[in-house]
Amino acid sequence: MDPQRNAYGSEADWNDAQRVVLLNYQQAQGKRIFYAQCVWCHADSTPAGPSNRSNLKPIPAVMNDGTVLNAESDEYLQNIITLGGSAVSKSAMMPPYGQTLTQDEIREVIAYTRAIAQPPYQPPAHPGSKYTAK
Amino acid sequence: MQAEAMGKISRRLRLTLAVASISFVIALAISPVKDMLREWKRYKRDYVSFAQTRPDTKRLLANYSPDIDQIWIPEMGVVDRCTTCHQGITQPSLPDQSVPQPFRAHPPIPHRVREWGCTVCHRGQGAATEVAEAHETTLAWEQPLLPVRYIQASCGTCHRGDLPETPQLNRGRQLLGTLNCVGCHHLQGIERSEMLGPDLTNIGIKVSRQWIYKWLKEPRTVTDSSGNVTLNGYDSEGTPPRMPQFRLTELELRALSGYLSTLQGNPVQAVHFDPRVVAAWSKRPDLVDQGELRFRQMFCSTCHSFAVTRAGETEMIGGDIGPELTKVGSKVNPDWLAAWLRDPQSYLPHSRMPRYQWTDEDLYQVTQYIAAKLNDADLLSGVPQLGAPTQAEIQLGRRLFVDKGCASCHLVEGIAPQHDLGPDLSAEGGKDLSQLEFGQSKVPRNLITYIQTKITDPTSVNPSARMPFYRLAPADLDALTTALLSMTGTPAASGLQKLIVPRTEGSFRPAGEFNRVYERYKCSECHQFNGVGGTLAPDLSYEGSRAQRQWLISFLKNPQTLRPTLVLRMPQFNMTDQEAAILADYLGVVLNSPLVDPSKIDAKSFSPEKVALGKQLYEVKYQCQSCHTIGSSGGYVGPNLSNAGNWLTPAWIAAWLRNAQALVPGTIEPRRSLPEDEIQALTAYLVTLRQSGKSPTKARVRNGTSFRAGSESGGQQ
Repeated sequence: MDPQRNAYGSEADWNDAQRVVLLNYQQAQGKRIFYAQCVWCHADSTPAGPSNRSNLKPIPAVMNDGTVLNAESDEYLQNIITLGGSAVSKSAMMPPYGQTLTQDEIREVIAYTRAIAQPPYQPPAHPGSKYTAK
Repeated sequence: MQAEAMGKISRRLRLTLAVASISFVIALAISPVKDMLREWKRYKRDYVSFAQTRPDTKRLLANYSPDIDQIWIPEMGVVDRCTTCHQGITQPSLPDQSVPQPFRAHPPIPHRVREWGCTVCHRGQGAATEVAEAHETTLAWEQPLLPVRYIQASCGTCHRGDLPETPQLNRGRQLLGTLNCVGCHHLQGIERSEMLGPDLTNIGIKVSRQWIYKWLKEPRTVTDSSGNVTLNGYDSEGTPPRMPQFRLTELELRALSGYLSTLQGNPVQAVHFDPRVVAAWSKRPDLVDQGELRFRQMFCSTCHSFAVTRAGETEMIGGDIGPELTKVGSKVNPDWLAAWLRDPQSYLPHSRMPRYQWTDEDLYQVTQYIAAKLNDADLLSGVPQLGAPTQAEIQLGRRLFVDKGCASCHLVEGIAPQHDLGPDLSAEGGKDLSQLEFGQSKVPRNLITYIQTKITDPTSVNPSARMPFYRLAPADLDALTTALLSMTGTPAASGLQKLIVPRTEGSFRPAGEFNRVYERYKCSECHQFNGVGGTLAPDLSYEGSRAQRQWLISFLKNPQTLRPTLVLRMPQFNMTDQEAAILADYLGVVLNSPLVDPSKIDAKSFSPEKVALGKQLYEVKYQCQSCHTIGSSGGYVGPNLSNAGNWLTPAWIAAWLRNAQALVPGTIEPRRSLPEDEIQALTAYLVTLRQSGKSPTKARVRNGTSFRAGSESGGQQ
């Protein structure tokens, strides 16, 4: 059966348009929020044309950049999105989204980021489990 | 002897008894052993051993019981035993992909599993206790699980309005409206749109019989110079053409085109251009270029699309509110075109096209441009010579018009639309397999392939189907399928009926002078007013609180974009001063937000210290320049604030900083809890930003040739 039938949504890999990343519900909601709120500064092109990324200093990470984001924990990303850059001693150009988005919505955005990361994101493994995903 | 005989008997009897009791014991054991080996018990046991490998074993097993679990919600008729196997569904520690199914937690959704059960959204058989019976269609059960890709259909069974979380469903419902499926089918909650296909009452004076023939045969194709079809009239990702294909025979094409070409109710009043204008312009070499410039300034591409060839690639650009114009110059009668541009409503009273203020000069230039550039001399090359239609052709054409259901979309005097031409689809999404007719078709037998086959190739499942052929992009086909699957009819369980969330309807009925101008320029085709209108442009429900009167007037006279990343789409209507003033006054008085209270802001208290503090907050603490531009530096995301002092009211700025989402739901301005004194200081700073009227405006208009109409969401930002 077509694997896309059991995926809630999909997204073409940013670096390789031929490769389709299948998204579950949470990641697909994250994609929706990403394209509403984050894409303007965290991608090289936006639905409305040029990206705002180059206007900013320091230049923000592109959202699928695994070399930067894979090293950060979910908790750290949750914090910087909720409280803004200045709360974690980063640039104040990153505004706080804690009152614009709910905590669940921020988790969704992070789940989406993890799904599109290149190189792919490996979640920290649970020790000693004989049940691992195929 | 007797005793011996008895012994013999009793030995035989004993043997029989022994065999009987052993087989009895075995028979007795069958049932418990069978019970032990039940599929769901295996999942129960597996879950226990899985839980023991996790750090939070105790919590994972807190509600464990070795029996069948079920969610029972009597008022909704839900008896869902899915949690018997899907035991980790509510466990917050089991969300990630590394957890094997069926133990993974459900992703967080707005509803709670315990309150809703599973089958309400996922379908399938809640009461079944075997994997196959629960998930698939079997002999005894009809309802399979809904593939996740179409799951938004389930949201739509209760939520009749649009939800932000269900883009696919929303798109599907929108398509049901724009493709006018309601013209022939009964559909749940989809309104019949006012403007369907073009009104054909006078079609005979607008286009020729040859053009009608060509259109009926193959709507819209764009060919390159060597005659190859480069574009089928629409982008593969854009909007599908609303006119489907009917696959008519040669006889039918001749008859229908003959009939339609005789529909000539009112002859057009030809526009008589001022002879001085024609004399001055007709010989000038820049006539067509000037016409093109005016055409672009009027932003025809906001509503109309046309094909452009850039660097050898042909693509469609422009909006989809009005018809596609690539070859309109070869299509329509030139007299009709000039008359139409001057006053569309006199030809078509319910036309959505604004009535621009034209000067003779502009109108002459634009019509010349359309005739010279938006044309194709070979448009009708494949069409046979068709003379005047015979009586027999006209009669057959009229019958075809009725039979094919043309009247469901097109208006023709004397032919009433027949609304029940196609079957009722208001319960299509809940149909069982036995109710579907697959005919000779070889497609897999399930509801989803049935719907998709029926849309793309109706005659393959029913050779006598009257439904025409639609060409849809795969994503649109899925969206349409989702929308149809959401129509499950009236729910049988009374509890479910109570859950239906109706669509919220806006209401906006302006009157008087404002209404006259508003109707003339068709403001609500693009802008929303209290929930009524289009979504292309910003919502103006609170515009009176937001913008200053003087700024509104100059904007209406000469629109310019406030956001560097957005393409301006507001046409320059050549409004009179009086019309602009009427609009601005009405907005200021009627379209206000209760959250914006001018009396709370005292502009006199804006001391230079406050302004300096506001500048400091803007530039250092909150670094608003990451998204907003002032002068020549700043970001592209929010509107340019260089002229904020002339544009925005101080009360709006303060209310916006307090809670932007309360004023414009869904705006991407991040909400922060700013203290009141910082709000005052930022407001004080922003109102000092003023630009003198001239500079950027003029530059924009003269270079206003940006033709790209990329996807933007101006209404939401």
